[in-house]
Amino acid sequence: MRDLLRLVLTMTLVGVISAAVLTVANAVTEPVVIERQEREYRQTLEKYYPELADFETREIEGRRYDIIKSHEGEMLGIMATAETQGYDDLITYNLAVDGEGHITGLRIVSHSETKGIGSVIEEPEFQNRLVGKGFQDPLQPGVDVDTVSGATISTAALIDSVRGTMEVIGCQFYGAREKMVDLSAMPAGTYRGAAEGYEAEIVVEVVMDQGKITEIEVVEHGDPAIYFAESFALVREQILDLQRLEAVDIKTGATKSAEGIVKAVCNALQETTDGGGGEEK
Amino acid sequence: MNLYLQDFSKGILKENPIFRQLLGCCPTLAVTTLAVNGLGMGLAATAVLVCSNVVISSLRRFIPERIRIPCYIVVIATFVTVIDMLLKAFQPGLYNALGVFVPLIVVNCIILGRAEAFAGKRPVIRSLFDGLGMGLGFTLALLIISTIREIAGQGSFFGIQLFGAAFEPMQLFAAPSGAFIVMGLLLALTNIIYKRFSIE
Repeated sequence: MRDLLRLVLTMTLVGVISAAVLTVANAVTEPVVIERQEREYRQTLEKYYPELADFETREIEGRRYDIIKSHEGEMLGIMATAETQGYDDLITYNLAVDGEGHITGLRIVSHSETKGIGSVIEEPEFQNRLVGKGFQDPLQPGVDVDTVSGATISTAALIDSVRGTMEVIGCQFYGAREKMVDLSAMPAGTYRGAAEGYEAEIVVEVVMDQGKITEIEVVEHGDPAIYFAESFALVREQILDLQRLEAVDIKTGATKSAEGIVKAVCNALQETTDGGGGEEK
Repeated sequence: MNLYLQDFSKGILKENPIFRQLLGCCPTLAVTTLAVNGLGMGLAATAVLVCSNVVISSLRRFIPERIRIPCYIVVIATFVTVIDMLLKAFQPGLYNALGVFVPLIVVNCIILGRAEAFAGKRPVIRSLFDGLGMGLGFTLALLIISTIREIAGQGSFFGIQLFGAAFEPMQLFAAPSGAFIVMGLLLALTNIIYKRFSIE
């Protein structure tokens, strides 16, 4: 019994000392690693946006979007940071999008793909397949953007993740922005638009008066009521307050619903100005 | 003093971990594509080996016989993780090049082998010299293999191009099979030399 106790105590002590040593080592090295990562990120920003003066960070669905601004406060583009499951482990990347919403560059921050196979995601030859694409372009892996055979899982995962990122960027930062230019010129009236929510389609009506959004009403939705009401209240308040659809905060715990509402409003105004299917009453 | 020198030198020549004991072959074959990687791996393993030898030797009376292996492994793993963190923070290029082989130093049989065969039974200073000798022997072997592979496979030495543009590098030496070939040839060569000069 005494023997057993001694074994347990010794092993525990060795473990505790080891943990203490590692804690100290981590405390020393972690700031250095973080600082270097930030410096590298800053260099990437400067490479793609030479006129960069400032940026504003927003987090949507676990992805980071930096809205890049020039000295005049003009939006130069969006730098997104996202991660996706690759073949072995997570792939973290930066995606640079210019002021017109086209991809200007892709940078792999970290990955654990197989050297010589999945590691093609780091090579310009592959990355250039994405460069130049806009948020309106379809980005289906293997259909619109070729995957690399032999490294299909790695490349398809990355393309698919870029597609998701571009969708968010398109609706959050660009889709609405162009429309907003025409907002003041839009005739008064009620516009109807729809978009996919969490469980079903969300249909909204947007009331415009004197070039301003004066009211947003939900016509139809099929999402869980408690979450939906909360998301809707927050989104509506922001849109009415800010009179824009980009950079609306949708981190409310019901992201899909909130995103759907923004997209629906976006569609309502967009289709009308395009002379498309929007409905004016 | 002579004893210490003996402990130190046997790792480099008489009991070289790669050429004589054939221990730690996995990282040897994997990372020796470039001389700088070989050197980095060797020095990282040496640092771990020296630290673990010293600690294990000084704890040898405190650690009960029955749980010595788990204790050794915890000690070794701690040092490997520390080295891993330090490389990541201060030598990111090397850290990326060595990849998974830094954490795998934990299971490098040279280190556990020295803990079990030497440090667990002998005083601290001797264990220190033993670790240093074995580590440098390992580093030397890695350096020789990686230099040959880098020159033949990439036409460079520590990243410096040695030949003109007309040089066509032999891809085979950069590939994993090249590692086996180079190591096999070196083993044959060392066997001949050791026999010829009767170093044993």
